[in-house]
Amino acid sequence: MITLDPQRSNASPAEYRIQIIGLGGAGSNLLNQIISDGLGGSTAVAMNTDSEALNKSLAPQKIQLGIETTRGLGTGGDPEMGCAATEEAMESIRQVLQGADIVFICVGLGGGTGSGGARLLAGLARDQGARVVIFATLPFTFEGQRRVAQAEDALAAIREDADILICFENDRMSSTVGLLDGMREAFAASDQILSEAVRSVTALARRRGLVQLGFDELSSALRGAGEPGARCLFGYGESTGPNRASDALTKALKNPLLDYGHLLQGAPNILVSIAGGTNVTLHEVEDLMTALNRSISPQAQIFFGAAVDPQMGETLSVTILSALGTQPILSRSVSPRAVIPPAKSLPIAPSEALGETDQEVVEETAKSTKPPELIPQENSRGGGTKSQTKKTAPKQEQMMLDPVGGGRFQHSEPTIVNGQNLDVPTYIRLNIKLK
Amino acid sequence: MAKNHIIVALEIGTSKISVVVGESRSEGTVHILGCGKATSFGVRKGEIVDIEAAGKCIREALVEAEEQSNVSIGQVYLGVTGGHFESFNNRCPIDITGERQEIVEEDCEDLIAMARACPVASQNDIIHSILQHYSIDGQTGVLNPVGLLGSKLEAEFHIIHGSTKRIQNSIRCVKEVGPEVLLVAFNAVASAVAVLSTDQKNLGALVIDIGGGTTDYVVYVDGVIKLSGSLPVGGDHLNSDLSIGLRILMTHAEKLKITEGCVLLQPRLGVEPQITLKDETGFTGKVIDRQVLNTILHVRMREVFEILKRRIDEAGILAQIGAGVFLTGGASQTLGMAELAATIFEMPAELAHSQDCSGPTFAFESPELSTAIGLLKLGSQSNPQNTGSWFRNLLRKLPFVGMFL
Repeated sequence: MITLDPQRSNASPAEYRIQIIGLGGAGSNLLNQIISDGLGGSTAVAMNTDSEALNKSLAPQKIQLGIETTRGLGTGGDPEMGCAATEEAMESIRQVLQGADIVFICVGLGGGTGSGGARLLAGLARDQGARVVIFATLPFTFEGQRRVAQAEDALAAIREDADILICFENDRMSSTVGLLDGMREAFAASDQILSEAVRSVTALARRRGLVQLGFDELSSALRGAGEPGARCLFGYGESTGPNRASDALTKALKNPLLDYGHLLQGAPNILVSIAGGTNVTLHEVEDLMTALNRSISPQAQIFFGAAVDPQMGETLSVTILSALGTQPILSRSVSPRAVIPPAKSLPIAPSEALGETDQEVVEETAKSTKPPELIPQENSRGGGTKSQTKKTAPKQEQMMLDPVGGGRFQHSEPTIVNGQNLDVPTYIRLNIKLK
Repeated sequence: MAKNHIIVALEIGTSKISVVVGESRSEGTVHILGCGKATSFGVRKGEIVDIEAAGKCIREALVEAEEQSNVSIGQVYLGVTGGHFESFNNRCPIDITGERQEIVEEDCEDLIAMARACPVASQNDIIHSILQHYSIDGQTGVLNPVGLLGSKLEAEFHIIHGSTKRIQNSIRCVKEVGPEVLLVAFNAVASAVAVLSTDQKNLGALVIDIGGGTTDYVVYVDGVIKLSGSLPVGGDHLNSDLSIGLRILMTHAEKLKITEGCVLLQPRLGVEPQITLKDETGFTGKVIDRQVLNTILHVRMREVFEILKRRIDEAGILAQIGAGVFLTGGASQTLGMAELAATIFEMPAELAHSQDCSGPTFAFESPELSTAIGLLKLGSQSNPQNTGSWFRNLLRKLPFVGMFL
């Protein structure tokens, strides 16, 4: 007779063992934030070369890297030293990673420990059969070219071993905090946002859904998020009360990484996950998705997930994850609509023109999400920043689009119809040259 | 004989606030006694963004209207708009139970109650539930089912709903100034009531009210509203486009649009290809190429019309519009609007102004006041003293939010 092993049926993929690792100084700080926000069933491990910093970590498990190599000090920003230090601790890392299904690695690239150790760590986790998700932060530009270059090298190296690679550029974080906020608050704010992102991705991976989102969907939605210059779009909101669906969505869209929903227009793949207690109604979900659809391009592919988690009680949460394809780092302040390539010729045949441009944007971003041929160009930037600026010089007219996007309607709610922001003058969106 | 009744309509527009005071005549027409206008501040895309500034302008307009008409304004009919308004058609069925097979008044009332309770997004409220047709046991097109026999009565409604909070904001803003709000109506519905004749409604008509902040539209088919909505793009966008494209101030852009602008690409005969602007001091300033000016306006309006056309086409009623396009609203006065609409919608298009009213001609011939006059008409029809209109019966149960009472 066949008996159901209750243990077994419960040990569904819901019971993924998830390990979150904070590697290096930045990674450990982020991990602290995640721990204080609540791990929700994952285990946390901090790894650092700097023993003093490691002592301060809140993580229940800690691994001292490079006992011999650095003798409890930092690496001094040398990735090779970081690599050696990690190698030294390989055995203890292997023990810790044992049995993990998904390993999240939080790391700040550009320094020594993170840049040097991330690759080894990712490789090790992968060899042990775990899925690897890397959250990497890239250094501020003001930290110097060298650090930026180190970060880019490390990024290129870990890309191979990561199933999902999500990059956050610190430069972009600066827009998330007020001008007058102190450094402390600034870093705390960016850690807060990243922690939300990590936590919601772990929750996504763990939670059993009514409409289940798998790891594959997660990786398709985030395809390209690790390319240099690509942008990871993330928004998370939760709310209670009668209007919780729309409130949660508003909160999610307010996330600076989504630029108040403006950025979603250009995203080719969008993952939306709604979770709530047992009383979430289909109606609420429908409302929320209708509202969200206004912010995104009609061509975008949506990966939709819904989960019921009795622990959430009255709360409803929504997570939006997506990636915006590669765009040159230099033009990052230009919003995605402004990077529409100049149309070839412009006879005004607008009956189709609207639709066409629409598609062009999407195709363009879709193309640019997987452009291995673009990367060398990007890397060859090396020291030749000057020549790059020269190249962009003839595109002066595009630069001026930046303030244009706002204009009179800058502070009002954007009018997005069929994925186009109608507040931007039509002639700009159609790329019509005026003279 | 029924006493003539004074009604006041208030429209809080993006570029201007208009108040029209009218007298509802027993024969169903409206006589305009006076109107007040004020340039509006604190309103963007048809919605209030600064309640204090908007309140000030409302007071100004109300005072002017009171002076002109010699009426003290205590109650108003308010028009609202905004991109948050949505519409759909809903069918409500009801079974006629029991021995009696005859449909009675209560059945109709039940249906209307059902329509008002039909599910919309939780943060929204139904502002209009407009009866389209009844059908009895599959027989469609019944105008008045009371007294007929049948076992299943159905009614189709056009439901217009919008964000509760935003509608409340408009109401609160008016209340803070003083007058009581008797009724709230969607601007597009009001404009259509003002400009269309019954024949046009029956033939099928598209009314586009191009205001300062929004473009509101209504499609009538077979005498009833089949589609309505609001696109938060209006004259303000034209001004903003010009100010960005020509690098001139918003105020100059607006003036330029009104005096020189044309939404057609073909050059008009007998006009200079270039326009020389005067600067503040009266000296000659910037020279503007007329073609550039018109191109900016043209592409914007073409886009707006095309979005509307697509929406109407998606609803599958484009071919049922027989009478054509009727343009109204302040920005519809820009040169070439009707021609452009005619080309895009491929049907006759004309500028329309309010029908069936008397009073100072500037008031009802001005397309800016269509909405306000439409509100007066809606008000006079819903006014219980105005008997004699079969429409009244319908209207009594039909529109309007009860939520603020």
